[in-house]
Amino acid sequence: MQEKNKVTGTPVSRIDGILKVTGKAAYATDYPVKNIAYAVLFKSTIAAGTIRSIDTGPAEKSPGVLAVITHKNAPKLNVEGGIRGGALLQSPKIEFHGQHIGLVVAETYEQARYAARLVKVEYDQSKARVDFEKLSKEAALPKDKEKADAKRGDARAALQNAEFKVEAVYGTPIEHHHPLEPHSTIAEWQGDNVVLYNSSQIVNGAQNAAAATLNIKPENVRIVSPYIGGGFGSKGGQWANLVLTAVAAKAVNRPVKLALTRQQMVNSVGLRQQNHQKVSLAATKDGKLTALAHETTTHCAIENEFVEPCGDCSKIMYEVPNSLITYRVVPMNLILPTYTRGPGKSTGSFALESAMDELAHQLKMDPIELRLKNEPTRDPSNGKPWSSRTTVQCLQEGAKAFGWEKRKAEPRQNQQGNFLIGYGVACGTYPAHQRPSSARVTLNRKGNAITARVELAAADLGTGTHTILAQTAADALGLPLNQITVKLGDSDLPPAAGSVGSVGASSYANAVHDACVKLTDELIAKSGKQFFVRPTAAQLMVSENVADYQTRVDAKPPANADQYSSHSFNANFAEVRVDIATGMVRVTRFLAVTGAGKILNPKTARSQIIGGNVWGIGMALTEESVVDPRWGNFVTRSFGDYHVPANLDIGAMEAIFIREDDRASNALGVKGIGEVGIVGVAAAVANAVFNATGKRIRELPITPDKLL
Amino acid sequence: MMEDHNAPDLTEDEKKLFEDLMPEDLDEILDTGVNRRHFLKLMGLAGGGILAWQSAVAEQVFTRSPGGPLPDELSSAAIENGVAVSFKVNGTARKLTVDSRMTLLDTLRERLELTGSKKGCDHGQCGACTVIVDGRRVLSCLTLAATCEGRSVQTIEGLASGTAGTPDRLHPMQTAFLKHDGFQCGFCTPGQICSAVALLDEAKKGEASYVTESIRTKPGPVQLSNEEIRERMSGNLCRCGAYPNIVAAIQEVHSGKPVEQTWQLIG
Amino acid sequence: MRPFKFTTVSDISSATNSVAGKPNARFLAGGTNLLDLMKEDVERPEELIDITRLSLAQIKPLTDGVNKGGISIGALGKNTDAANHPLIRQNYPLLAQAILAGASGQIRNMATNGGNLLQRTRCPYFYDVAMPCNKREPGGQPGCGAREGINRMHAIFGWSEKCVAVHPSDMAVALAALDAVVKVRSASGPERIITLADFHRLPEDRPEIDTNLSPGELITAIELPKNRFAEKSYYLKVRDRSSYAFALISVAAALEMDGNRVVQARIALGGVAHKPWRALKAEQLLVGQEATEANFKRAAEVEMADAKPLEHNAFKVELGKRSIVRALQVALTGNRS
Repeated sequence: MQEKNKVTGTPVSRIDGILKVTGKAAYATDYPVKNIAYAVLFKSTIAAGTIRSIDTGPAEKSPGVLAVITHKNAPKLNVEGGIRGGALLQSPKIEFHGQHIGLVVAETYEQARYAARLVKVEYDQSKARVDFEKLSKEAALPKDKEKADAKRGDARAALQNAEFKVEAVYGTPIEHHHPLEPHSTIAEWQGDNVVLYNSSQIVNGAQNAAAATLNIKPENVRIVSPYIGGGFGSKGGQWANLVLTAVAAKAVNRPVKLALTRQQMVNSVGLRQQNHQKVSLAATKDGKLTALAHETTTHCAIENEFVEPCGDCSKIMYEVPNSLITYRVVPMNLILPTYTRGPGKSTGSFALESAMDELAHQLKMDPIELRLKNEPTRDPSNGKPWSSRTTVQCLQEGAKAFGWEKRKAEPRQNQQGNFLIGYGVACGTYPAHQRPSSARVTLNRKGNAITARVELAAADLGTGTHTILAQTAADALGLPLNQITVKLGDSDLPPAAGSVGSVGASSYANAVHDACVKLTDELIAKSGKQFFVRPTAAQLMVSENVADYQTRVDAKPPANADQYSSHSFNANFAEVRVDIATGMVRVTRFLAVTGAGKILNPKTARSQIIGGNVWGIGMALTEESVVDPRWGNFVTRSFGDYHVPANLDIGAMEAIFIREDDRASNALGVKGIGEVGIVGVAAAVANAVFNATGKRIRELPITPDKLL
Repeated sequence: MMEDHNAPDLTEDEKKLFEDLMPEDLDEILDTGVNRRHFLKLMGLAGGGILAWQSAVAEQVFTRSPGGPLPDELSSAAIENGVAVSFKVNGTARKLTVDSRMTLLDTLRERLELTGSKKGCDHGQCGACTVIVDGRRVLSCLTLAATCEGRSVQTIEGLASGTAGTPDRLHPMQTAFLKHDGFQCGFCTPGQICSAVALLDEAKKGEASYVTESIRTKPGPVQLSNEEIRERMSGNLCRCGAYPNIVAAIQEVHSGKPVEQTWQLIG
Repeated sequence: MRPFKFTTVSDISSATNSVAGKPNARFLAGGTNLLDLMKEDVERPEELIDITRLSLAQIKPLTDGVNKGGISIGALGKNTDAANHPLIRQNYPLLAQAILAGASGQIRNMATNGGNLLQRTRCPYFYDVAMPCNKREPGGQPGCGAREGINRMHAIFGWSEKCVAVHPSDMAVALAALDAVVKVRSASGPERIITLADFHRLPEDRPEIDTNLSPGELITAIELPKNRFAEKSYYLKVRDRSSYAFALISVAAALEMDGNRVVQARIALGGVAHKPWRALKAEQLLVGQEATEANFKRAAEVEMADAKPLEHNAFKVELGKRSIVRALQVALTGNRS
């Protein structure tokens, strides 16, 4: 993928790697702020009602305690300021179990943690709406217009008359992001200004939300967030803990550190909603789809709505004349759901791609062939041409590389000793967008040595942003990589899009590239000369004897980008080994073939894809957050109860990229890969489990009990 | 496995990098016509060495020097049931009084300015706080500092020899993690690397794991399969999903043989 | 975590003396469970006695006494050292495997052999102080959160209306199968020996009491009798994740064979009860029988016939049967795959 003499597209090791392997990369709570105090949150033990009384006396008298803040003494905050999930200590009202109801600030963490246990709360409890199985019957049309019923043709009629059809409900549980770094903040006031060392996927978003909620101006808030210990959507929007740290620091007139505990993560920073997805497919006997209906029922918070778009893949994956995509949602006394890796697409593709596998089995057709037969030439949802579409290549190259021909067409035909072996395939897609981002590039010359500094308020949550931007700048400026410094994650820098929704790489790389081009143009103009061969900025600095030069661009997506339907696509291949006696499943081999535009760095890109695959395997096999339907509490509050995949869960992982030069989506042809890596994965695993065992599991995760 | 049909020549930068990696072979390889494809393969194998050349920086607001001076002692009001402890951290003797409730993890992070060890769960369920105490990997979040009297603690900050952060002095495991991209966000990485370093010793001692087939054989140095490494590293969660890269990094150091990184670009 | 006094002791008698008459004092050994529970405010000791420096870590062959020819495992030895001791790997591979099936490398480096037996249940209602739990808050009004709640991980044998928790240890399951005994000391009175079978108890109406250890007693060693199971044994652990997870079901299985005839069988189950569950009925059925899959299945059926599943864990009955059969097969053939 790399061009001649370019470092872009080469597998450079992460430039932030040394800091990370030596323990010196500073995450939010690692900053050595002097005279710091420690805050610990305490939470409601009911899911609905009001606080009748709250006795903070014993906590206040506890050694080392500096302040106890509850709704009774918290400063007035703007609850519409952009903080998600409420819980800003503004009223005695309780809307979900584990809502923040106060915090203790003390000299030491040990003292704050202990004192937080001393607060006594009495409630007036009201009936909590927490049993999704019962409440789902009350689900209604979402307020969000994007979730209105989307109809093309008449899917119901086509289903009725279908020769072959699949109609099934697929269940996905609540999941939690659980980044290894719990959401954490250090707040330090300097007069009217506050510095928030925080873990933010959207630096400027955190700045704006914190400022608005604190009723101060954005320029009074500085977010410092160069290193983020994973986010996966939970650090996209900002939650109450960010602002409450600032409130605590103000109250005690000292810097304050507040890190959520792992147990507090389940009801502080959003979750992936539970979904019931009914997918109905109709087809002719030669495998042409005639109808596709994807009807999702889910839940949201009492006050606020969030619905992940489970029907998105179904809108665009297949050529089908009759289509119906619907959403129904019911408010519940649970924390607000939010974006979670591959929002809607990861869970939606589990339903769609499982149903496709069921249909293929019914038709006695290879599931790859079924998909190839229904490949759309344009985006079926809006008729736009694809900026590029690689589904066919992904399937065909993947089949070759994976050895798909070894798959037994009928399930339960491949037994090896105590194990059943199965192969599964599933496709995925995720939109590719560029968002407005600014970037500043500064060149500095000492003699003939030129160094460059690239700055923007972008986020690198392990995605490799530092590295790909250094690569982009090196090539665009004509400098070796080792002369580039990249500074991110600080709201004092030029504003940038968030690292969310797979927009980071395209938005940032295009902005940095544009800034470098602009800088070169300006140096050429400044020289007053004409060049036959366009010189590099580095050459110009020397030839024109410039000591320092800086420029900045505010990059925007191409004007015609919305004339195309731009997406990344993939095909996922899973080999599973199921223990016949115990039902334990291992994914022994996994291959993801991805078409995601220009790959800026195959090493970090591969890691991103495999990371998404691991998430998908977790979704398929291990991850489930369980709510007690009586009280609305999470029973799975710890890593002992909520099973993130462990090392032994992951077998041989392989990644293949399809070369693409998709300049229709954006100038550099860069599409994101953070999300697409998870899409289709759970279905590929579930389809492989079916191929191995003959058991179709439609409720994730596929734990041993479901295969007995 | 890079598929490249054009196989362009190396850039000057790449030649320089190559020189750094294996200077003695450079002329020969260049004469016999190394193309980009071979180069990239080689670079994949020797990716750790790339650091010598690649000093592009991800800048942060500050970098701290490990094992700096002991910060101001806390006021006595901030310490309850104080316990005086003397122990070694990364070879340096430390003496301080801690609240009896204070864990080793919080002591390292909040009192000794060693924030490399991370708090991922604080309950022994993620491994991000893994440090090496008296030669064995343990969880600093479930270790009371008060129990560390006389112990020797090694943290991520103490693994690199010489001036920490100088690339050529990284611990081989740190180099292998860099080369194999054994992390993304980097938060679990200090724990993973400490765990991996200790694991090498466990293999040398012949310690068994749950997936060891021949449990009854006499303990002696063992060559670990990837499956063995996976099981032995399962106490270190990585939410970014870098497990295959972590296994590759550990296998390379453990076996002493390069483990190839594979990806393909097709079409 | 509440404030507590921290004391270090260097010999057994000062250890036992230091807790005598102090119901809120606890011994601190590996700390892997105690600190976890203290952070959750489930355990609230006022004093911790650090016993890690006592010399109780030795593993040695027993040359006299009832268990002559067997082995003594020091209570304060680390799990890792027990699992890797040549005598244990050679003569009690079932125990080595069970230890290695538990937790992670780091935790096994910390956790002690005595402490392993004293682990408390991982029932999420026990761990969450916002939830009702008779084990955590004995005598209180609230009752057992799990009895009518999310009880997929809970007991199918020996539970009571007051408590449906399971014991989390893997090591203890193997020790139960191998007829271990636990040696304990206290400030008053002579050394006491408790069989592993009697060490842990069923919840009945006192679920707050996990074991028959008396207040102030210190475990000094675990002893295993000599046996002939080393050739044919296996510890099977079935869990929701491949590693580093508590058991849905675990089976410690050991056979002493004469040709294809079972001379003695040992089967104990984990993840099914408030204590390691010795499958005596299954064992008895196998003695003198051919070691066939059909007989293994019969034994498993008989044992699991008494199971009383809860709302969410009926699968454990079938899983238990299959796991017993599988564990016996692997024990017999040595072939896991």
